[in-house]
Amino acid sequence: MKRIFIEPAKCDGCKNCTLACMESHREDGGRGLYTLDLTDPANQSRNRILSDGKGGYLPIFCRHCDDPDCAGTCMSGALVKNQTTGLVDYDAEKCAACYMCVMACRYGVPAVSPDRKRMIKCDFCQHLEEGPACVRACPKKAIEVREV
Amino acid sequence: MERFVIIGAGAAGISAAQVLRDFRPKDVVTVISTDEKVHSRCMLHKYLGHERDAQGINFVGADFFEKNDIVHISCETVKRIDTAAKTVFFGESYSAPYDKLLIATGSGFFIPPIPHFREAPNVFGFRDLSDALKIDEAFAKGRRVFIVGSGLVGLDAASALCERGAEITIAEMAPRVMPLQTDDYAASVYQKVFEDHGCKFLLGIGASDAVVDEAGNITEVILSNGEHIPCDFIIMAAGVRPRIQIALDSGIAAERAIQVDGHLRTSVPDVYAAGDCTGLSGVWPDAMAQGKAAARNMAGVDEAYPKPYPFKNTSNFFGVTMLSVGRLDLTEGADILVHKTPTEYKKAIVKDGRLTGYLSLGDISNHGLYLHLIRNGIDISGKLDKIFRLTFADFYGINEKNGEFAYSV
Repeated sequence: MKRIFIEPAKCDGCKNCTLACMESHREDGGRGLYTLDLTDPANQSRNRILSDGKGGYLPIFCRHCDDPDCAGTCMSGALVKNQTTGLVDYDAEKCAACYMCVMACRYGVPAVSPDRKRMIKCDFCQHLEEGPACVRACPKKAIEVREV
Repeated sequence: MERFVIIGAGAAGISAAQVLRDFRPKDVVTVISTDEKVHSRCMLHKYLGHERDAQGINFVGADFFEKNDIVHISCETVKRIDTAAKTVFFGESYSAPYDKLLIATGSGFFIPPIPHFREAPNVFGFRDLSDALKIDEAFAKGRRVFIVGSGLVGLDAASALCERGAEITIAEMAPRVMPLQTDDYAASVYQKVFEDHGCKFLLGIGASDAVVDEAGNITEVILSNGEHIPCDFIIMAAGVRPRIQIALDSGIAAERAIQVDGHLRTSVPDVYAAGDCTGLSGVWPDAMAQGKAAARNMAGVDEAYPKPYPFKNTSNFFGVTMLSVGRLDLTEGADILVHKTPTEYKKAIVKDGRLTGYLSLGDISNHGLYLHLIRNGIDISGKLDKIFRLTFADFYGINEKNGEFAYSV
């Protein structure tokens, strides 16, 4: 099982990870940052880099928790902890958009889709063979995939 | 080889079955349910609105029982438990012996003692798939619907049926809709969006009598002010009561709910209870957690179940989303902070530097930490200036061992 480990001290707030996440999940068929609409809520990032108020940065990434609050509260079966991969998988077809997951995640990770019909969170870029786009985009190696 | 029997296939029963199977791969796990099909009662409106079929509101896969080698006896209601012989009885003459038993019978809808309401064949609950089927059938014959109660269940039913062209009247005893989750402003937003979709509200008023036809069906509801409201059928959404009859009939301690200790054990050895029937909480996540905790105890893991924090909910009607956690009604000696823009409404109740209630209407993305702050009574006195913009960055910590987050407070 894998997890994206975070070393906040290494993060310099460049937000390459945020852009990479938006690019990885864009649905307009385009490719490349030059055509990515940064203002379209449909392209929102699943990770956030927040300020610590002291000049440092605090990356907020889904932990795919061992005992996930989100899956524990899901009443549609859309969010499930995959015991093989360790990831919290999301099935938008099953989702009833009740947003109990948004309420339950104590780290405030899940977001509401602009059309309010889905939830949005990290899917570990399972559609990419090379793994999470954010990790590859980080120039400081502040985030990296490790076995847990 | 041990035999585990679970009564009920709701959130608590099913999550318990899964945990028992995981912990005890070789033992026998049996689920007996009145319900024919496993379904999420929080999604019944999707079924009633004809958005999804029965399989579409199943919260586990269609192959759940097969895949996990769990016996499912459906359409059977357990009538009696012989706790001395450790056997449950159901159907005409069937029985199932157990070594450990879990009662997860949930709760049932409640009909207040209004004349004719308890006997009329056209008064329905909105709790189980079977209720939704009955409503669907009634709706084919008449589209004038009277809903008693404007809580989440009443509004779920209303939202599903008004999308199908129903003529809906909702009576609410409280002066506003969703009285437990809202304040006056949030309620007015929801009231308006339902009215825009054709629903009519009667607030601060109740049904006190009814006119019935020769078959006993209610044709008109008489309100406490004497007004008559014609209708084709009625949906009761005025609260639920734990289903405890089986416990009462079997000598298991229960009053309004089945009594359980901190390990979800009932008064009888080897009999456990979880979910709504324990009266500990009435929300889905707590039922899931109780089912899992009870199952681990049944499997021999000694695990205390902490008292749940039941004041939490979210709603999403017609794209209007709201998160409501804690007690918005307990404001004595507390500061009430409000943030209002054309698209957002937020309210925080703060007492002694701690958050005791939080309401957010609008985009509720990333709001989960507010529940955590309330439930754990975390001191936020130094952060009141950004109470509506708190993020996990304000409590950031990392568990170095496994890379998960951890609150540092």
